[in-house]
Amino acid sequence: MMLWRKLIHLLPWIRRADERDMQEELRALEEMAGPRELGNLTLAAEDARTAMGWLWLERLGQDLRYALRSMRHHKSFALLVVLSLGLGIGANTAIFSVMESILLRSLPVPDPESLVVMKWHGKGYALASSGMSWSTGGSSMDQTGTLASIFPYPSLEMFERNDDVVSSAFCYFGIEHLSVTTPDATDSVKGHYVSGRYFQGLGVTPAAGRLLFSDDDTAAAAPVVVLSHEFSRRRFGNAGAAVGQTIRVNDRPFTVVGVVPPAFFGAEPGATVDLYLPIHALGADPAWGSSIFTDEHFYWVEMMARMKPGVDLAQAQAALAPRFRQFAEGTATTERQRQDLPELKLEPGGAGLDSLRRAYAQPIYVLMAMVSLILLIACSNVANLLLTRATTRRREIAVRLSIGAGRSRVVRQLLTESVLLSSIGGALGVALAWWGIDILTALLAGGRDHFALRAALNWRVLGATAVLSILTGLVFGLAPALQATRLDLVPALKDDRAGRPMSSSPRIGLGPVLVATQIAFTFLLLVGAGLFGRTLANLDAIQIGFNRENVLLFTLQPGSVGYKGPALNRLFEDLRERFGHLPGVQDVGLSNQPLPMGGGTSAPAGIDGVSPAPLADGTSPRTAAVLSTVGPGFFKTMQIPVVAGRELTGRDDAGARQVVIVNRQFAKLFGLDNPVGRTLTLGNRRYDIIGLVDDALAFTLKGERRAIIYFSYLQNSSPAGQMTYELRTAGDPLGLAGAVRETVRQVDTRLAIHEMQTQAVHIDQTISREITLAKLGSVLAALALVIACVGLYGTVSFNVARRTPEIGIRMALGAPGRRIVRMVLGEVFVLASTGLGVGLALSVAGSRYVKSLLYGVAPNDPAAIGMAVSALLACGLIAAFAPARRASRIDPMRAVRRE
Amino acid sequence: MQPLHGVLDMLVLRTLSRGPLHGYGVAKAIRIHSTDALDIEFGSLYPALKRLEMKGWIASTWETSETNRRAKYYRLTAAGKKQLRQEHAEWRTFAAAIAQIMGPGSEGQT
Repeated sequence: MMLWRKLIHLLPWIRRADERDMQEELRALEEMAGPRELGNLTLAAEDARTAMGWLWLERLGQDLRYALRSMRHHKSFALLVVLSLGLGIGANTAIFSVMESILLRSLPVPDPESLVVMKWHGKGYALASSGMSWSTGGSSMDQTGTLASIFPYPSLEMFERNDDVVSSAFCYFGIEHLSVTTPDATDSVKGHYVSGRYFQGLGVTPAAGRLLFSDDDTAAAAPVVVLSHEFSRRRFGNAGAAVGQTIRVNDRPFTVVGVVPPAFFGAEPGATVDLYLPIHALGADPAWGSSIFTDEHFYWVEMMARMKPGVDLAQAQAALAPRFRQFAEGTATTERQRQDLPELKLEPGGAGLDSLRRAYAQPIYVLMAMVSLILLIACSNVANLLLTRATTRRREIAVRLSIGAGRSRVVRQLLTESVLLSSIGGALGVALAWWGIDILTALLAGGRDHFALRAALNWRVLGATAVLSILTGLVFGLAPALQATRLDLVPALKDDRAGRPMSSSPRIGLGPVLVATQIAFTFLLLVGAGLFGRTLANLDAIQIGFNRENVLLFTLQPGSVGYKGPALNRLFEDLRERFGHLPGVQDVGLSNQPLPMGGGTSAPAGIDGVSPAPLADGTSPRTAAVLSTVGPGFFKTMQIPVVAGRELTGRDDAGARQVVIVNRQFAKLFGLDNPVGRTLTLGNRRYDIIGLVDDALAFTLKGERRAIIYFSYLQNSSPAGQMTYELRTAGDPLGLAGAVRETVRQVDTRLAIHEMQTQAVHIDQTISREITLAKLGSVLAALALVIACVGLYGTVSFNVARRTPEIGIRMALGAPGRRIVRMVLGEVFVLASTGLGVGLALSVAGSRYVKSLLYGVAPNDPAAIGMAVSALLACGLIAAFAPARRASRIDPMRAVRRE
Repeated sequence: MQPLHGVLDMLVLRTLSRGPLHGYGVAKAIRIHSTDALDIEFGSLYPALKRLEMKGWIASTWETSETNRRAKYYRLTAAGKKQLRQEHAEWRTFAAAIAQIMGPGSEGQT
């Protein structure tokens, strides 16, 4: 009954009729009663309205309508607020969504909390000391030793046996580049070779067909494969159509038995796995052999397990660690290995393997800190603008307070306005983030194959944004609202102008504090951007020793489809010939790995009859040199100058004399200017040195220049079965992609092309963290600078407007315009210097946290700090100059007359 | 003296059970019936009328008064009568309980 009446009352025309009716009734009663007998009828009417309706809702409606109207009247104010908040919230939303996808999200499987990832920790470089022969790179070293996530396959059985704490254990091994041939084409995809209980343990249900069982994972089982949803869609139209098809993986046939659901991406966030194969299928590959499943020293598989219900991580750790210790003890063959047995460490596995988190956690925290600062700057801007506006509304507020509006009512009105503004800003922010996520993902991926962040505006991100927007509005609207309603009513009412001169208020207002805070935070961002920018500049300035522009890189793996020995080399030479004839190709080179190689082998070498040149301190240098295998045309294509002797040719093959080319760094080790013609010794092998080249990159971009020995791949007795081609092109290297694919297809349709990209992108990939930080850092700093300058401009303009009479009097008394400008700018300078001082202290304290992300720059780099100071002061003075000039043009007569 | 919270509604319902009255009339009636002991501010009474009307316990119509003035007259509805009976019963129980505790005497005179 009452609910219905109240609902009806919400209808505006009903409410207007009720209101008229009430006014009429009260007038009638007033005439009947004696004067003043009825008391304050306005208050009675207001209380009656409360009784009749949902007053809070109505008031909210009123407040919103009022807020919208006042926004319409102050468009530029509203625009500034919405824009600063939109940019701040948008930047936060975008970075948070990336952070959410990398650091916070669980695997899309049931009950992810009960999954664990197995790791082990060993003192020293345990991989070498315990006779472990191979690593996927799933290990990291620090002062305490090695932390690795790879295990020998036989340990799986041991983990599976622990059925008191573990309900299932499973392992997998990832291969970055598999050649997959479907009837249409051959492609390079990433594959995971998984143990029989992998899908059962993760709790994945198929989107089509079935997943892999333990029976599939034996040496004798029929070869079967499970596809990713995306791959099945790309190649067969839909998941259902893929089931039952046969595809060739590295030229061996596999039957598709099922497809995983679209959301499932394996156990490694960031990776795009397209094929899931039984791990025993690797045994049939001659490159691997079946011994990998029995060798207890060969650490290679990533291990995970699902704990039984009710078992926690500590219990599982306590149960499994002694078993693994026992296992490792049983495999140790030397005393040294027994001294340094790996210790099992279980980690929560709900979010999958943490390789992505390890690589990106720190830059993401830095970016998150930067965008939080931006939001704070934007918020103080908004608070400042609100404060300014509240001051100009003093009279309006005083009138409302004096006719009986409660202070809380006025505060609520002001808060409604700020929350409305911040909500609109939040909506704008979401739109900006939508667009920013793609840019961020591309920046962080840096053109890698099989990489996906899967950052998205999901409910968690949008919820965080909504909370952020509303909190922003409340927190940064509250202070100005409280200050605005703390009024001495009488002078405020008498005042016919916007406000009183600042000098009449002894208290330091919120405004200058906010501006100084903004300047301090902006300074922090500028220093950060300067440091990251200089890091990138230093990285770009590294002498790589070759010309990175206009080179197309791609890798072929004929070894995986059966090529070996002379046939392999014939294929490589045939392709080199064919690529050279493509229009637009100037030179063709080839090498076992692209530059920088990322890693590889080095070994001590000697030169017949020459002893290594002693170092400055008299000791003998290490003569270890990087071993690199290249083909004909490599130096010409890469434009690495051959300073003496000659380049490798196709005639430097197995039948010819064994030759090498060395670089200057190598010659320097032996104190030689020109070692061409001498004999190089490596172990018991001897090589003619036929050429001397300038130094170029070897393993990593940031690493020191190393001595390098280049061998001819045609003389290699154990070829790797894969080759990277370098094509120097006349125009855009990627323009040749189609022609290269066609050429390879003509030679052998089973060959996939892996990692096709430009040389420049390949180098940038190795520094994608630094590039991301430098680019985003400078964009964010510029944003902060703009927002802070807008804030400064607003504050100064407002103060000039308020002080018009005072300035007018000064001018009437003979102060020249110059002095007025100086006075206003001087005040800005004091404000800016205060902010700078605080910012400087903060940056000195905080910059060491980014030290590991810098290259060639100290955390307190004077150039970066100097740059930040001058940029901030220059922009601040420019922002303040316009209002200062306006102040100097005040007409004294008019200003004084207003007083 | 101002009545207890919640008692006002009951007083208004009881007053209107004697016949329809306009807002000012309700105030006067309460004062007269309590022999001036209860003086209810119109500022509290009027919202109470509106509240009771929203609850459907009283209804109002525009009528002409004995002095030929137009005024809004409130009268008890069926639901209001039921409500009044219930409140009256509760009040009697409550008042009796209070009376039992307080007793007839007054402090300091025994």
